[in-house]
Parts: sequence; structure tokens; C-alpha cells
Amino acid sequence: MTVQTEPDQRRPEVAELEHAWHERPSLRTWLSTVDHKRIGRRYMVTAGVFFAIAGVDAIIMRTQLSRPNNGLVTPEEFNQLFTMHGTAMIFLFATPMFFGFGNFLVPLMVGARDMAFPRLNAFGYWVFLGAGSVMFISQFAGAAPDGGWFAYVPLTDRPYSPGRNLDVYALGLLFLGVSTTIGAINFIVTALKMRAPGMSLNRVPLFVWAMVGTSFMVVFALPALNLANAMLFLDRRFGTHFFDPTHGGNSLLWQHLFWVFGHPDVYIIVMPALGIVSSVLPGFCRRGVAAYPLMVLALVTIAIISFGVWVHHMFATGLPFLSYSFFSAASTLITIPSGIQIFAWLATMLRGRIIAGVPFLFAVGFIVNFVLGGFTGVMFAMTVFDQQVTDSYFVVAHFHYVLFGGAVFPLLAGVYYWLPKFTGRMFHNGLGKWAFWLVFIGFNTTFFPMHVSGLLGMPRRVYTYPTGLGWDPWNLLATIGAYVLALGLILVATGVVQAIRRGPAAPDDPWGADTLEWATSSPPRPYNFAVIPQVHSLHPVWDERSREAMATGDVLAGHRAVLTSELDGDREGPVEMPESSLLPFAAALGLLFVVLGLLWGQYWLAVLAAFAVFITLARWLWPPHRTPEEAGVAREGRAP
Amino acid sequence: MDPTETSPRARRVGGGLLWFAALGGALSWTVHLFVAWATDELACASGHTTLAGFPVKGVVTIGVVLPALVAAAALATAWLAWRRTSAAAGEDDPRMGRAALLAVVGLAANTLFLAIIIAGGVSLLVFSACQR
Repeated sequence: MTVQTEPDQRRPEVAELEHAWHERPSLRTWLSTVDHKRIGRRYMVTAGVFFAIAGVDAIIMRTQLSRPNNGLVTPEEFNQLFTMHGTAMIFLFATPMFFGFGNFLVPLMVGARDMAFPRLNAFGYWVFLGAGSVMFISQFAGAAPDGGWFAYVPLTDRPYSPGRNLDVYALGLLFLGVSTTIGAINFIVTALKMRAPGMSLNRVPLFVWAMVGTSFMVVFALPALNLANAMLFLDRRFGTHFFDPTHGGNSLLWQHLFWVFGHPDVYIIVMPALGIVSSVLPGFCRRGVAAYPLMVLALVTIAIISFGVWVHHMFATGLPFLSYSFFSAASTLITIPSGIQIFAWLATMLRGRIIAGVPFLFAVGFIVNFVLGGFTGVMFAMTVFDQQVTDSYFVVAHFHYVLFGGAVFPLLAGVYYWLPKFTGRMFHNGLGKWAFWLVFIGFNTTFFPMHVSGLLGMPRRVYTYPTGLGWDPWNLLATIGAYVLALGLILVATGVVQAIRRGPAAPDDPWGADTLEWATSSPPRPYNFAVIPQVHSLHPVWDERSREAMATGDVLAGHRAVLTSELDGDREGPVEMPESSLLPFAAALGLLFVVLGLLWGQYWLAVLAAFAVFITLARWLWPPHRTPEEAGVAREGRAP
Repeated sequence: MDPTETSPRARRVGGGLLWFAALGGALSWTVHLFVAWATDELACASGHTTLAGFPVKGVVTIGVVLPALVAAAALATAWLAWRRTSAAAGEDDPRMGRAALLAVVGLAANTLFLAIIIAGGVSLLVFSACQR
């Protein structure tokens, strides 16, 4: 479907806009770009590569476990494999991938021309790339983290884990935390200050609500992990005793700090995925998502309650029952907002006119798997059940249903849904449907049997097992499923490459969807919107007045965007947007050398690099000569 | 001044009440969790059964009851806000629409947070403070 939402490209003011925002292709602009769309695509591609490497880790593990007493890898190698698989999937794939989606889509969905802090955005990407590279290179060097993705002390403290493996973990995640934190702050400010005029809080797309909720969770949860990792590094390198009970430390402190971050992190991963499903369904059900206020409620309450459930990861640590009960209550009742969303999506499908396209199939696959994962999640909220299956394969089955079923299925729905917008090309429908069925069947064949092997007593993280325990058929089945799943994911990648290379040109709005990203060209121009949209409803592309305003309004000239008020989206005035710059890249490079200096114990290098970062940041923050209008300090209609 | 216009003070109070209606339950649950859980876990870990002369269970009970009352007050405020804003939400006024959204969110969220506080607090009837 094509709707007239853009002004004529031949208008002279539009040509001037093209000139103001154009980036000439070169190595310099490749390194210095601050365009949110390019940065978003980079996040997605880089996270996709990390996903592939961590997926290969998983395939090696499943092959090792396909039969009893197998000797494909050593126990030490297996420790590194499961640690890097978990760490990479959580920290280097899931969150950055959704940040990539958010980077590309949030400014478009709110009708902005870029993120609020474009240079910070570029800096965040380069830091993410550096952190991911350090961690994966350590794996190829045989020195990858090997204490599990949640790195419990005292196992991960000296003297039980000598070598650099856990230093890579602590420093790598601290380094990555810089990227995640500034990315989150950028999303919050973009969503609060850069929304198109008229987009009051009750007209904000659910994906944007989800990204804002996620970002608030990151801002509040990540400091706990950063603190824990800093303390772990100090314990390991400089002999402090934060986690050493023999010197007044507390080993449970690590678990508390880790899970204060770790449980919200489950929702940090899943919530953007929920937002994607809420974006996909309107296009394929021909109606808006049912119960919008309750969907907002669900996102907001999940974001808050997720901070009060962390102790359910510690139900086997011997804390007082009374303490458990507070967390058990929250862990049980957090299913209510999740359930509200499930019922709202079902109502949307029930009352809509369904078109079963590939993105829709993945969205439905998500609902099936996420409900199964949620069901076992409620079981874990019961202390007595949790204590029976702690550290068994039942846990592995549960969190893969939640994280793969709840995040990767929507992610794949999002890839197919927005691929026309990302690339300007349409994908092959048949290939997409084959990919869906292989992924769906492969996923369930891999992870459902783990419930059974877990209930039969198979502990997680064992590198092999003896025969005769009843685990053999379930493990073989899971391994066969893993290969089918891998084949499905390869088909997804093939479909994306095929679309980019040979796919037909995509129209602006191929699905007839309702949000503002579909009011731009596919792919969008560097300035996103020539006319800053005036929003009159929750579904601006379906709304006649909003469409007309975009087609006939005045072009906002120059390298500028519009600021609006936080709650009601009242126009406050234009602001000059920062030009591309090499400074974010230079700052991230300096930070990388700080990390490497600390890792190698070359503290002179760390200090030197820190000084270089300081100089770069000073240059970056040095106030440019701008008029109040250019800087966005002067507001429209206000006397100077 | 137009008699139908609200004063700046009334607007501030109204805005504050609306935010209380939206977030009061969440804030009271947060306070409940940290007071009740932290008191119980830290006191029991250090072997204490009283805190400044009060029994640990009594402190935990206060950490349940007071937040529950605040959450109930937020729920009542959200109910009033919803009744006043829902009628005007259909008009093309972003402010009223946004206020109605916050009121509905508060109504449901406060109910949920009150339920969580009560569901956790019921265990006070079953367990002693440091029972493991």
C-alpha cells in the first residue's frame, strides 16, 4: 500500500535539505557518521555476527552432549563454551540487537530526524564493538570467561579461577556497560524530547514505550552489575575481599548484586520484543492493538516489578522464608501484566482481519513459546518447586523458552517486518515461511526435551554424562533439534542476503501499517522527514489529518530537528543537530586501550589511554560558537 | 481571571495528585520490599531478633501495613482521577487524553501493587521472622 505522506522531492527546500544531511561515501564518513539509521544497522549486523558465533558455541555443546561419555571437547573447553554462549547471547547479542532496532526505529516512530545525542550514539556503537571483540578474541585465544554467565563467587574469585578468563569477563562487561548505559539515556531523552508535535503520551507507539521502559530498567539495573564486576576485578587483581567471607566479605553479596541486575535484564531483553509484536500485529490484523492503555500499563508495571523478583534466583541459598515470600508474591503476580499483553494480542487477532505473512507467523510462534516459558516461570515462583529443579536442565529449558521464544521469535518477526524499511528491498515470502517452520520445529525439538531431562535430574553445565540415567534419548532429540534450528536460522540469513541483493524494491508502506516510520521512503532519506509530522492520533499513517499535515506542511530547513514537551508533545522549537565527527570513534578507541591496559596489567597504558580519552572528551564537549537559536536554547515565540 | 480557569496552585496540586495516582502504588511497594526484606534478611543474618527494642517481625509488619495503606490511597486517587478525565478523553485534546491514560494506568497498577504487598505480607501469619 502507498499513501501520500511526503512532500514533492523536487521542491527546492527539499533539495537543500538533501544537501544539508548528505554524507559522501568514504572511509572517513564511515567512521564518523552519526546517522541513527546507519548506526542502528551496524548494531544489528554486529549483534547478528556475535549471535552466529555464540550459536556455533551452542552447536558444539549440543554435539558434545548428543550421546553419553562423548569426548568432542574437554571439560575446560566446555566451561568456556557455555560461559561465552550465555554471556554473548545475553550481553552481546540480545540487548545490542534490540538497541539496533531502537536506534533505527525510535526516531522514525516518533517523527524525529535523529536521536537526541547523535555523537553519543556513535560512541555507544564503537564501545559495543570494542567490548564484543575483546570478549570473543579471548575465546579464540583460549582465555575466555569460564565461570558461567552469572560468574558466581567464590568459584570466580582467586584462587579458584586463576588466569585472565574472569578478568576478561569483569572488564569486558564493565566496558560494555558504558555503551548500554549511554544508549539507554539516549533513548529516554529522544522519546521524551524529540517526539513530533501532537504526540502526547497517549499517542506514543507501543514499541517506543517498550524501549523507554527498557532504557529506564537499564539505567537502574546496570549500576548493580557494574559495581559487582568492579568489586570482582578488585578482589581478583588487587586482593580486596568484598566476596571473601574469611576476611569479612560476603559471597551472597555477588548473587544479590548480580540478580538485582540479572532479573530486570530478562525483561530488558524481552520488553523490546513485546514492543515489536505490538508493532507487527496491526499491519497484519488490519486494526490497532486492543487495549492500548492496558498495554502501556503492562510495560510500565513489568519494568517496575522486575526489580522486585531477583531473590527467586536465590531460593536455594538458605535465606529466611519470610524474605522468600515477598519475592515469591512479586514473581507470581508479575505474570498478570504479561498475561494482559497476551490477551490483548489475541483480542487484536480475534477482532482483526488476519493476513498470515511471515512476520505474523513469527509473532504467533512467539506467543505460543512465550506462554510455555511463562508457565514454567510461574512454577519457579513457587519456592518449593524451585528448590527441586535448581541448576537442572529444567531451568535451561525454561529460560530458553523465555529468551529465545520470547525474544528471538519477535526479533525475527521484526527483521522480516522492517526489512523493507531497513534495506529498501522486499524478501522472498516462500523462503521466509520455510525459515519460520524450521525455526519453530527446531526450537521446540531442542528445548522441550530439556524439561524432561531436567526433571529426570540432569544438572546443567555438565560436559558429559554416563549412560543408563534415562537422559540419552532426550539429549539426542535436543541435538537433532539444534541442527534443525540452525538450518532455519541459516535460511533467515539467506533470505536477508537474497533480499538485499536481488529483492524487488520495497514500497514506502508495504504492510499498510500505522506508525510514522511507514510515512517515510524505504529506506528513509538521511533527514527522515522533510516536514516534521503533526500527529493527531495513535495511528498517524491511518489518520487523514496527520497524513495531510505531512504532505502539505512546511519543510524544516537545515541540519535541524524539533524539540517538544515531555508529556504532551507541545512544540518548543527547532534545534541544530550535531554534524558527523571522528571524536566518538577516537574516544571509544581510547577506552578500549584503558581496558586492555587493565587486562594485561600494563597500568601505564591504562593511565595514558585514560588521559587520551579525557582530552578527546574535552574536545568533544568544548562549546561551539552557536546562536541561541542554533543551540535550541531560544524557544519559539519567546523574546530573546 | 476567567472563573472557569484553574489557578496555578490548583494545577500544581492536580498534577501532583495525578502522579501520585499513577506511581503511588509502585513507590509504596518499593518501600515495602526494601524495608520488609532488608530488615528480615539483615537482622536474621546478624543473629538479631529485635531492632532498637522492637521485634523484627513487628518492624516487618509495619513495612507491610503502611505501604499497603499508601497503595490503597493511590488507588482511590486514581479512581477519582479516572472518573474526572475519562469523559473528556475522547476529545482532541492531548492533555486530557494523556491524563486519562495516566489515571487508567494508575488504577490498574495500584491494584496490582496492593495485591503484591498483601500476597507477600500474608506470610507474616505463617512464618516466624528468621525461620529457614
